[in-house]
Amino acid sequence: MNASRIHGIVLSGVGGQGVLSLAQILLEALRRSGLQALQSEIHGMSQRGGSVHAQVCYSKLPLTSPILDEGGADLLIALEPLEALRYVSMLRLDGHLVVSEEPQMDMAGYPPLDDVYAALKVVRGAHLIDTEDLARKLNHRQAGGMALLGMASRFLPVEDAVWRDVISQRFESKGARVLEKNLEAFEAGRGLIHDPVGA
Amino acid sequence: MVQSTLALGVEAVGCAAFDAGIKGAFGYPGTPSTEGFEAVERLIHKALDGRVAQWAANEKVAYDLAMGMSYTGHRTLVTMKHVGLNVALDAYANSALTGVRGGLVLLVADDPGMHSSQNEQDSRRLAEFAWLPCLEPSTVQECYDLTFRAFELSEALQVPVMLRIVTRLAHCRAALVRREAQCPTSLGLVPEAAIQNWVLIPANARRRYVDLLEKQPRLMAETTPLNRLVPGTTRRGVAMSGMGRAYFGQLLHENPDLAALPRLEIAAYPVDPALEQAFLAQVDEIVVFEEDYPVLEERLGLRGTVKVRGRLDGSLPRTGELSPRLLKDALGLAASTGKTATSLELPIRAPRFCDGCGHVDAYEALQEALVQVGAPETRVFGDIGCYTLAAQEPMAAIHAVVEMGASISMAVGAALAGQTPSVAVIGDSTFGHSGLPALLTAVDSGVNVTVIILDNRVVGMTGQQPSQALDHVERMVRGMGIPDDQLQVLLPVPKQHDANVSAVVAALRHPGPSVVVFRRECIQSIRRGVLKDHDRQERERCTAEVCS
Repeated sequence: MNASRIHGIVLSGVGGQGVLSLAQILLEALRRSGLQALQSEIHGMSQRGGSVHAQVCYSKLPLTSPILDEGGADLLIALEPLEALRYVSMLRLDGHLVVSEEPQMDMAGYPPLDDVYAALKVVRGAHLIDTEDLARKLNHRQAGGMALLGMASRFLPVEDAVWRDVISQRFESKGARVLEKNLEAFEAGRGLIHDPVGA
Repeated sequence: MVQSTLALGVEAVGCAAFDAGIKGAFGYPGTPSTEGFEAVERLIHKALDGRVAQWAANEKVAYDLAMGMSYTGHRTLVTMKHVGLNVALDAYANSALTGVRGGLVLLVADDPGMHSSQNEQDSRRLAEFAWLPCLEPSTVQECYDLTFRAFELSEALQVPVMLRIVTRLAHCRAALVRREAQCPTSLGLVPEAAIQNWVLIPANARRRYVDLLEKQPRLMAETTPLNRLVPGTTRRGVAMSGMGRAYFGQLLHENPDLAALPRLEIAAYPVDPALEQAFLAQVDEIVVFEEDYPVLEERLGLRGTVKVRGRLDGSLPRTGELSPRLLKDALGLAASTGKTATSLELPIRAPRFCDGCGHVDAYEALQEALVQVGAPETRVFGDIGCYTLAAQEPMAAIHAVVEMGASISMAVGAALAGQTPSVAVIGDSTFGHSGLPALLTAVDSGVNVTVIILDNRVVGMTGQQPSQALDHVERMVRGMGIPDDQLQVLLPVPKQHDANVSAVVAALRHPGPSVVVFRRECIQSIRRGVLKDHDRQERERCTAEVCS
């Protein structure tokens, strides 16, 4: 990472998908990696099935701004394809996008899915994942979020052991089985990105 | 090594209040202030040392509870969102005259950009209006440190101190270093010699108003050390507060050239005119970065000595939140280039009712009932809560939403103008908050108004906090004078639709005031088991007292 600038992650999705929960895992992992880190989120009406987004800034510099500028994000993590498209312009030219292909279409005027996928595939640095298929294979309905985090981890300055620690801490109260399933989903996502650039 | 934890800005305020030894915290839920109360509530429940955290029926009640606690010499925190302070304004403005005994800090969370509010009023104006100090942090750690300072100031100056934060800071999560917690102690009751200060009959109030004005230089002497004038080398300067300070500070780390700009950094009000003068003497032109109203901008502009840029001259938008991009533009810094946005049209994904929400069934019954009485075009007066979502297409079931409790009074006003039937829709918590006096007037007016109370048993929208109206709705309605035969309690489920429609039709046709309660617990609250303990206790009590 570049020591003289702020790095940032944008997360997006739909209320109830766990965007804020993922953001908190990222924040904790970056902080434990010895970096300055801030997270910004918007609550309120957005909890009711509307668009939700959060940002995580990290840096070796002191941090006071929780908000990234357009073109200031290194990474966009999207739990839903349409919600990914809203934030593409937040990404730096060399930024990466990890996105679930699984649409949440219960809204008026959702564009044709093929158009959405096409618009995502033209973004340089986009990595799409069929979270529905992965969830089936892992027999874990909510594997998508952790798999995306696993993909994202390939672009972030966080050691393997720190990820394991933070994820363990997050799920320890839910029992060994739940933790194991989440670590499995994380690893599955992590395995999908080879030879990351700019990590 | 000092341990740090992760906390939201608004939670940091709650933690600081606990660590500063408050005896109690009071508040009414409202985004983005809610988690501040909840943070201190968690700490108090864990401490088991006789402290209290109590949600109140509304913000005025919360503020008065805090004033009563202060009177006994204890420190206290009271929390609300910006529009909540309108409800508590009578108490707040007059508490400037009484002053406080135990330190009293008012956390107000403003919502520039109106993420979840009906306006973007600036609470700093209300502090100024009441002649009271206001502290304005810009980071999570400052939320903590300035709250601590606010308690000290409150006791040193014997006035309430406002801590003003905005949504972005309230919901910014970062590392927080806490101090050692102090035990709650009391300064003792208001001493006998000072009792008259708390009795605001005109003779005392006149004296106390003079005292308050005479106290202003002391207020400034205390707030000035929290403000900072940083000299520079150019004749262009920057004045800033709150998130303006946070964003500028960040730009400064990335663009060290900005250090050449003289800057005025404000974290506390009132601002000493001498400090402003010293700043303005160093510059020919300034730009002002602050959230919401152009408070500093107007003050600095009044002097007329330098060119002032900001929200008033169009250098920044007149409304909405600041952002790093807006600061960059105003400072003439190059914008960063990002990836190209998609050309695909992206419709808004609006928030909507949860699947299975009882409000939907209630609205469907109301809409069909209005058709059956031949008044499908009736304008329905709504209120503040999850059920406000019904104002959106395609449901479009309510046609006015203004402020807490407005639905009932507006429906009565429309009825007095001749609208028949006239309908109000209000939630149980909002009814307890400020619907009660409106219903009293509705009964007194005798007009045909139908009040629909959507009772989901919790404060749904802000995160299912306990509703003060829980288990009391029917008794409150009867107590306001609604006769038994004009009070109906219905279960909003699809199976009951036809029966519910008939019941609403009867209420709409009744020539006088009537109330229909649709009661079904919020499904999020059921999922989280919020009322499980409460309901079990109620069942046990019922078994013991009534059914035996």
